[in-house]
Amino acid sequence: MEQSLERILARVQKPARYTGGEYNAVVKEKQQVDTRFAMCFPDTYEIGMSNLGMRILYGLINELEGVWCERVFSPWGDMEAEMRREGVLLYGLESGDPIRDFDIIGISVGYEMAYSNVLNLLDLAGLPVRADERPGLNPIVVVGGTCAYNPEPLAPFVDIFSLGEGEDVTVEMLQLYRQARQEGWSKEAFLIAAAKIPGLYVPSLYQVDYREDGTIAAITPREGAPLLVTKRIVQDMDRAYFPTKTIVPSTEIVQDRAMLEVFRGCIRGCRFCQAGYAYRPARSRSRDLLVRQGIEACQNSGYQEMTLSSLSTSDYRPLESLCDGLLEYCQPRDISLSLPSLRIDNFSLGLMERVQKVRKSSLTFAPEAGTQRLRDAINKNITEEEILRSARMVFRGGWSNVKLYFMLGLPTETDEDVLGIADLARKVLQCWREESPNKKRGVRITVSTSFFVPKAHTAFQWEGQISQQEYMRRVALLRENMRERAIRYNWHDPQTSFLEAVFSRGDRRLADVLERAWRKGAKFDAWSEYFNLERWLEAFDFCGLDPAFYASRQREREEILPWSVTSVGIPADFFWRERERCRQGVITPDCRRQCTGCGANRLYPGGRCDE
Amino acid sequence: MSRLLFAKQGRAKYISHLDLMHTFQRAFQRAGLDIAHTEGFNPHPFISLLLPLPLGFSSECEILDFRLLKPEELPQVPERLNAALPEGIRALECYEGGRKAKELAFVDYHIEMEWPGGQPLSAPLGELLGRDRLEVVKKSAKAKTGERIVEIISLVKSFNLTDAEGWTVLDTVLAAQNPGLNPQLITAALAREYPDETPSLVRYHRRAALGPEGEPFR
Repeated sequence: MEQSLERILARVQKPARYTGGEYNAVVKEKQQVDTRFAMCFPDTYEIGMSNLGMRILYGLINELEGVWCERVFSPWGDMEAEMRREGVLLYGLESGDPIRDFDIIGISVGYEMAYSNVLNLLDLAGLPVRADERPGLNPIVVVGGTCAYNPEPLAPFVDIFSLGEGEDVTVEMLQLYRQARQEGWSKEAFLIAAAKIPGLYVPSLYQVDYREDGTIAAITPREGAPLLVTKRIVQDMDRAYFPTKTIVPSTEIVQDRAMLEVFRGCIRGCRFCQAGYAYRPARSRSRDLLVRQGIEACQNSGYQEMTLSSLSTSDYRPLESLCDGLLEYCQPRDISLSLPSLRIDNFSLGLMERVQKVRKSSLTFAPEAGTQRLRDAINKNITEEEILRSARMVFRGGWSNVKLYFMLGLPTETDEDVLGIADLARKVLQCWREESPNKKRGVRITVSTSFFVPKAHTAFQWEGQISQQEYMRRVALLRENMRERAIRYNWHDPQTSFLEAVFSRGDRRLADVLERAWRKGAKFDAWSEYFNLERWLEAFDFCGLDPAFYASRQREREEILPWSVTSVGIPADFFWRERERCRQGVITPDCRRQCTGCGANRLYPGGRCDE
Repeated sequence: MSRLLFAKQGRAKYISHLDLMHTFQRAFQRAGLDIAHTEGFNPHPFISLLLPLPLGFSSECEILDFRLLKPEELPQVPERLNAALPEGIRALECYEGGRKAKELAFVDYHIEMEWPGGQPLSAPLGELLGRDRLEVVKKSAKAKTGERIVEIISLVKSFNLTDAEGWTVLDTVLAAQNPGLNPQLITAALAREYPDETPSLVRYHRRAALGPEGEPFR
């Protein structure tokens, strides 16, 4: 280890985040490697190492001969300060080599509040943050993850965006890169060729023109780049790469357990949910394969806990049989199994009691909206009856702590809907009074509201977000009408959600705001100890842009949206139809009941969803 | 009860005590070695580290106790664990029984201090450790003020200083427990008494665990 790094590590909190050397970390002989890949996650080690997608790509890239993929995370403030003082450049955890000299810098961005950290990562690496100031073929900066679906605010900083699931396209891109290097192509020539690979969006090949009112007049590709870049998906989950021998961190991380990926996509059509649309179509792994992978993952990691990963666990058809198969292995070994994301409409308490050695601490339900009218409008297909039936079961089973999640500011929301949240919470409380076998222990119902953020590629992509003042008025209204001692109310601070709404549907001009805010110190914006809205407002002011134009403005159907160059496989017409159905209060059935013709099935050549 | 002697060096020296416990619990699982679990609501593999190693220290003499469910696997433990441990942690030897933990009396440390300027550190360190008494402030969770004053000279059994280019080496045997002396307190005392002589980098290394008479502790 370099002495400068050793000096630094003696002074920072949790140094094990910065050393690498964990069990199963991949170390290769440098003589046998011609392509170096830095897999970056713009948040802390503890969060980044909990990301399953990153583990999949890390394993997959390292299976390629001649390619070495290493990990990079955002150093916390104390480490950053020490690195800058000692002149230590951002390095790959496996080798300790500066990533500035790597071939590809891949950054996984899943959340708009990480944008400032993306710039900070490049800067800590010793690279110019703007793509046009990095003229050489290496490193090429590639961004993937959910944020790639509206790539525009990051466009000037990034060479290539990778849309959708990265298993196949990353390999194709690496092949092209190696060819380019061997044949001595320019960066421009490489990017032009990369833009022809389906799923890769090269922002520098697109010219964006604006109208006087700030909306987009035209997006014009050049050099043969496609008008529409559609995301990539894995066709067959049973044949897709899945790492059962993955890194076991030597320090505690957020998801410190073996993770099994049960399926991708979601059959529900919640109109507000970007994940629900963007990860379509639903594709499952077969039960037997999952049992085998689960056992292997435990054996190879030594973890005493396993969790199932998906958007909605209870939509996995053979869930009970899968749990039986896993428990056969887990129970004799004191390995616990956890089942997150169980929906309450087919919630099975028996299943939960069997698999989890739960302290009956708390259970979380997400009705999202307080009245049936609004739940129907957002297509959250749960009835009040179903919610209360679940609540009764839960209380009868001995739980006394229930959390209820809602959003405020959903399209068409009225004060009646806001007060409906209080009503629902009271009805849940009444269920406890009627059902609890042990009332002496008391009850706690925690109501949480977040501030709705309209997202690209959803039915609500045209909607304005309500103002922060209006959100706080609705918070106050709810608080005044929900005074029961047993009900606790938490609300999400609106400032972050406001900024998230700006960037999630922002255009290319926001890059200047982002760079300005970052230069003024913005980083780790998802962390309250760092976030400062004033700094961002100052940056908007400096750049002459109005954040409300992005967050609060209602868009017209005809408007060219900044992300209209990308596709998740679902055309805007479908989203508009869903938006109209929201206004009419009409429910759209889930994909199993009836195909709604969203178009995601066409991502499979000749295939069918959800088989 | 079985006892494992192991080394913790290189990048592994940044693994904290609590994280090291988890690392070993998982390593035993990965090695397919079944060990006794704790009782209670959330049973987990039971292991005990005799003398916690401060974060950032390296060591070639760490001691861990556990109980194998299949005692006949004992001879295979070091090899199987080594295949399952992260870089820098190495199982050295494993045997049944061993002396009582409370008989672990001293630790032999090898400490390298980088000179902050052009001057060796042996003179100030020698002066400091040659005193009759030396009190330092130590953080203490038990004390109301959060601090406690400890006298450290009585906890230093022996020491030897050598200078080499840019570095001063302090080889010293310190009391292990009840009370023990963390050698970082010696560095803290040096920084207080000789502020200009604060080393720019210190490497602490445990070389041996010793019994009351200075004999190897096993």
